[in-house]
Amino acid sequence: MSVRIRNNVTVSGEGPATMLLAHGFGCSQNMWRFMAPALRQRFRIITFDLVGSGDSDASLYDRKKYGTLQGYADDVIEIIDEFSTGPVVFVGHSVSAMIGLLATIAAPQRFLAQIMVGPSPCHINDGDYVGGFSRDDIDELLDTMDSNYLGWSRGMAPAIMGAPAQPELSVDLTNSFCRNDPLIARHFAKVTFLSDYREALPKATVPALILQSSDDLIAPCSVGQYMHQTMPDSELVIIDNIGHCPHMSTPAACVAAITAFVDRLAARE
Amino acid sequence: MNMPAPPRPGDERFDRAACGLLIAELDGTVREANQTLLGWLGLERHELVGRRILDFFSIGGRLFHQTHCVPLLQMQASVAEVQIDMLRKDGVRLSMLINIVRERRADDSFDAFAIFLATDRRSYERELLAARKSAEAELDARLDAEEKLLALNQQLFAADRRKDEFLATLAHELRNPLAPMRNIVTVLAQQLAADHRHTSSLKILDRQLAHLTHLVDDLMEISRVTQGVVELRRLPVDLAAIVHQVMQDLGDAVGSAGLLVTLDLPTAPVVVDADATRLSQVVANLLTNAIKYTPAGGKIWLDITTSDDEIRLSVRDTGIGIPAESLGTIFDMFSQLKPALERAQGGLGIGLALVRGLVTLHGGSIEATSAGIGQGSEFTVLLPRALPVAGIGVSDAPQVCSNAVAPPLYRILIVDDNVDAADTMVMAMEMFGYDPRPAYSGTQALRSGDAFEPHVVLLDIGLPDLNGYEVARRIRATQWGRSALLVAATGWGQAADRQLAREAGFDHHMTKPVNFDTLQALIRTSLAP
Repeated sequence: MSVRIRNNVTVSGEGPATMLLAHGFGCSQNMWRFMAPALRQRFRIITFDLVGSGDSDASLYDRKKYGTLQGYADDVIEIIDEFSTGPVVFVGHSVSAMIGLLATIAAPQRFLAQIMVGPSPCHINDGDYVGGFSRDDIDELLDTMDSNYLGWSRGMAPAIMGAPAQPELSVDLTNSFCRNDPLIARHFAKVTFLSDYREALPKATVPALILQSSDDLIAPCSVGQYMHQTMPDSELVIIDNIGHCPHMSTPAACVAAITAFVDRLAARE
Repeated sequence: MNMPAPPRPGDERFDRAACGLLIAELDGTVREANQTLLGWLGLERHELVGRRILDFFSIGGRLFHQTHCVPLLQMQASVAEVQIDMLRKDGVRLSMLINIVRERRADDSFDAFAIFLATDRRSYERELLAARKSAEAELDARLDAEEKLLALNQQLFAADRRKDEFLATLAHELRNPLAPMRNIVTVLAQQLAADHRHTSSLKILDRQLAHLTHLVDDLMEISRVTQGVVELRRLPVDLAAIVHQVMQDLGDAVGSAGLLVTLDLPTAPVVVDADATRLSQVVANLLTNAIKYTPAGGKIWLDITTSDDEIRLSVRDTGIGIPAESLGTIFDMFSQLKPALERAQGGLGIGLALVRGLVTLHGGSIEATSAGIGQGSEFTVLLPRALPVAGIGVSDAPQVCSNAVAPPLYRILIVDDNVDAADTMVMAMEMFGYDPRPAYSGTQALRSGDAFEPHVVLLDIGLPDLNGYEVARRIRATQWGRSALLVAATGWGQAADRQLAREAGFDHHMTKPVNFDTLQALIRTSLAP
């Protein structure tokens, strides 16, 4: 089995340090297209698709292995082993921030830093902890996914609508950036939104930067605060952004925060 | 080409469009909405404009919008046919189908929404979803059941293997006490030969012991067959001669059962490439079976016919027969017909399983037929025919001699950690006029051997301190041991054991319980001047 094919790994850019970018739920490594050009100036960049997402080898989607985020974390370590000689700066969006966290706990020597974009260790409210959602809310999401994926199947493109503002994008691409296998996407959604990794937070030894959007429905500010307080070596930076994808909607602010953090770490040594 | 201007807010075509239209800032703040949408949602314009569009989505819709629509809009500036539930002012959920296009202009950027009511479509889809879910649940249940079945199978397989191992151990353990019992019977028979009051009792004891030994042997053999550890010592042998030998051995049994046995054998030797001992077991078991299940006055026929490539041996009787439903399982272990239809014959139900196992090992097959209860039965064995070869070894059984002549006074060291077995063997050998001495361990054997200088050492292989092979090697290294007759005695009669015994320096190998006649014959021929 080739790790490169399994995870559709792409390497680009030059730099003394390697940065590994891990996309979040519902999309693929395409998400990094707004940040990658700037980061490539300084780092050697590895992007990849989580198994079951994007152009990964979906035939390897094993519900048991990927029934917890640890399965993805093991893949991350394999990718680093194969594509990087030294330790990496890990950047994970949303669920991948947690995947990275588990990987850093399993193999801390393989990581220089972890940058967590819109992370949440637990989406469901629990006593004093405010994750932002109830169990019913998550079930509703799964329901919404079901109805949106109803007619989907691999090889059948959904009905298409033009993109007049960006004619360079072919109409064929509509909705295709994030067209994942519906059954896998549903399972992944379940694993993502029902997981609870709060107990892993204090075990993190690799320096962490938490990039928190000022207004994020999925990972509210309270969650960012909680993570910052619970993780031993962490910094919290609030990005002025609405929504869960600051790396797409405010990429420049994200790049600035990340490079500043890496510089601070370098100065530490 | 002259395109009509798109509908704009304030424009009749915008407000009264056949679908909901909405303009929002890139962060989701509603800039404008048409009357159609406001009407569906039951809202006044000021209740929607200026608010976040997300606030009017269901929670599931918000999550889906954030995780799917927002990234797509960012990357390809449009999404199509998204199903999201919106909330009417009174809380009622409205299923909507939404298209969004992101307009990016130098002076102004916004998202344009087209929203369609899709309530009917949604309820139809809910039906489809429900159907799919129940299908999935069924599939899950089936996979679950299959998994359980597989686990159960594995458990059964393990239990079956443990049973085989247990039977092998059981048979082995049962053999051990048989040896001293056999010795005692021999001793008593000799001592009480003159006393007629005891001879009949002793004969019964002897017969029962022989029967028990036979059962245990069968049990041990079937365990070995099922565990695949039987090695055939194949030679071209004459099947007809084997049948005669077995008939001779069974002579008494046939007579006392009041049965007539008719043999129909070819005159020429019937050559098969087989293990003579195992083939004898097959014939003996089939005949014993026929005798056991045929009432007095009945008849048994044993026929052998040959064709170019096969030999067919059949044993037919006028006995109690086999019900049709049992024919399929009669060769399975423990498949004995329920308490043998009131006949007090008993048995373990392993004889036929053993027969089939042995026949299969020889590359043959066996079949049972019966017209039903009381109609007799027939067992037919098919064996591949061997090419005729000169010099047929009919049987390698040692020539059995009676022990009437008193032998010279040979010293025999009897080594067995089973004290009863060793002591009774000493008793028996004393009676036969030998000078025996027991040793209960390997080291003791070596020690007393030096002083005793035996002519013969009968050595148990499974000793607790030194194993028998090692003891044999050390005996061979001593002055006296060089010329002594070394006989291995073991509960395991496997070919591998014999090989090991030869390599360790044993002259002979015997399976327990040791047959005295055979042992004496061995001593006579080996030590005769």
